[in-house]
Amino acid sequence: MGVKEIVKKFLGYRGTIPTATVVKEGEEERRLSGYRFYLDYLIKDKVAAVALAIITLFTAWSVVEGTLQYVGYATRHRALGWALLPSNPIALNFAASLHPPSLSHFPVYIFGTNFSGESILSRLLYAAPKDALAAYLVVFSGIIIGMLVGTFAGYFGGWADEVLMRVTDAFLALPGLVLAIALSVLLGSGYNSVLISLILIWWPTYARFFRAQALSLKSRGFVEASKLSGQNSLMIILRHIFPNSVDPVIAYAALDFGNVILTYSTLAFLGIGIQPPYPEWGSMSSNGLPYFPQNWWWSIIPGLVIMTVVVCFTLIGDRMQDLIGGRLTY
Amino acid sequence: MQTSTLIYLVRRVINAVVTLLLLIFIIFVLVHTIAPTPVALARIYCGSPHCPPAELQVIIQQYGLSLPLPVQFAHYVVNIFHGNFGIDTLYKVPELQVIGQLLPITLELVITGLIFAVIIGLFTGSIAAANRNNPIDYSIKAVYLVTWSAPVFLVGFILQLFLAYELKLLPPSGLANPTLGNPPPVTGYPYLSAVPQPLQGWLSGLVRAITSPPLIDAAVEGDWRFFVSGVHHLVLPALAIAVTSFGVVTRLTRASMIDALDRDYVKLSFMKGLSKNRVVYGTAFRNAVIPIITLIALLFGFSTAGAVVIEDIFQYHGMGYFTVQAIYNLDYIAILAITIIVGISVIAANLVADLLYGWADPRVRLE
Repeated sequence: MGVKEIVKKFLGYRGTIPTATVVKEGEEERRLSGYRFYLDYLIKDKVAAVALAIITLFTAWSVVEGTLQYVGYATRHRALGWALLPSNPIALNFAASLHPPSLSHFPVYIFGTNFSGESILSRLLYAAPKDALAAYLVVFSGIIIGMLVGTFAGYFGGWADEVLMRVTDAFLALPGLVLAIALSVLLGSGYNSVLISLILIWWPTYARFFRAQALSLKSRGFVEASKLSGQNSLMIILRHIFPNSVDPVIAYAALDFGNVILTYSTLAFLGIGIQPPYPEWGSMSSNGLPYFPQNWWWSIIPGLVIMTVVVCFTLIGDRMQDLIGGRLTY
Repeated sequence: MQTSTLIYLVRRVINAVVTLLLLIFIIFVLVHTIAPTPVALARIYCGSPHCPPAELQVIIQQYGLSLPLPVQFAHYVVNIFHGNFGIDTLYKVPELQVIGQLLPITLELVITGLIFAVIIGLFTGSIAAANRNNPIDYSIKAVYLVTWSAPVFLVGFILQLFLAYELKLLPPSGLANPTLGNPPPVTGYPYLSAVPQPLQGWLSGLVRAITSPPLIDAAVEGDWRFFVSGVHHLVLPALAIAVTSFGVVTRLTRASMIDALDRDYVKLSFMKGLSKNRVVYGTAFRNAVIPIITLIALLFGFSTAGAVVIEDIFQYHGMGYFTVQAIYNLDYIAILAITIIVGISVIAANLVADLLYGWADPRVRLE
């Protein structure tokens, strides 16, 4: 089934179909046109284009704000961290305590304020870089660890492969959130311990994925050919197995950024991770719990922001998966 | 019983036990990597950052933390299989006793949520498949993409806000009406004393888990006022769990329904002149449901994790609520015990799903 049919079948897509082709055989051709093709396709699809725009905005803001916060931290000018924000996210202002969302003093009160009178909007913007960093760092570390472990296990097989499969089975038996809670409480409170525990539990899925790729690739013609030409295994893995197995993982990874943000903010909701007064999307939501039905904006708006970002990642991942033509097996 | 069935059964059970042992090993290794010395470990077990050295020594003695690692691991595994997870740092009673009381409440919630999720998922999934590639299909897809991307706590908050506080349909929080006393737990298991000592702890835990969810207690004791109130309080959190997890069921149902609708027997049913509804929701549906069984274990794990948050929001005092308290109190022994017990539950759910699948689809047994 060609790309056009896939697109038509899964999406009812009525726009112009991109002309680049994804072919199963010539792997080289696919790799060259791959990323341009995805981007082209995503931009031509309206929903995915909006999602991509929101994610780009989120990432760009996170880079700018994160850099400012880091520079401010390093040069001991903390105020630099909120130079771009509508108001200071950690300054107490009880005069404005529990102000409902309104357009006065635009945009400070647009999402309301919490009990301490801090603007929810400023706090959301201030916390964004931490979520973006967690998402990108955890997924990329997962891909790198999973790629190394999974590819070698799949390519060489034998008892190492068997052990790896059992270990990943055991990891995947537990819901990630439960294991993350155990590890990050053990590591002590703080942002770094959450990151470390997420990285520790995130790689097994990717290891299984890359193992499956290596298993299917190692019997393909071009790998056999380079084996016959006398290349050693390491070079074959670097030259052929790695580059060809990365491509399909992108769709899953796009979806996975959202999963990381969900897990990370759920951990924050449970009080693990960044501690007050510094804001965090999940913990902002849980801090509003005692004030809940009356001051609903405190809990609900951070949740809605998390949902928006995750939906965008999911949409992009979903469209990419459609493009690749079917679900990934791992 | 056929030989192939027996082999299938034995293989699945061995698989589950190996996975469980490895899980315990992984947790053991991770704990010992993060806290490599006996004193560091004791500080974690103590549950307080300012533990006096004398107390640390007591803990090291008590838990045998200075023994060689393989010996410690053997002790750890043996203790777990005896149901001995240590003494809770807060309540000063054995951990299994605390969790034994709370786990049934959580299981009640999670299983009800799962049933809701499967019902919603099957329903929406088959509607989507029957109306493939038209606006109904797309709107169902849009709904589940949003719900599975929503954080669990947001779903909880929104359901609570609208169904409990705005429309006042259901009570917003709690296990049951607090003015009603708890029904007395079903007691006295005479057959338990016949079981060898080491297994008694586990078996009584298992029996309690089956007989002691408060709703079943109430039904057994005939306390119908408590039962009705309990069901009333159960619906909202269970619905929250269902909303976050039904999307996976919808997606798989849709895919397998579409697959089934292309099969020859479905075409034959059409040719026999059966109505579209009859074919789609009767013939094709019955065969498309089978793959959903494999999802049970996955959903069970996902919902158990979600229950931690849901129980915190709805003040539903089960194991999830206890987990949140343990996080705040740095009750590390409790967290480790919960992790392993959740692991055991999920592995057991996996085993059940595998066996069910083998029963529903005999081809699997021959693999």
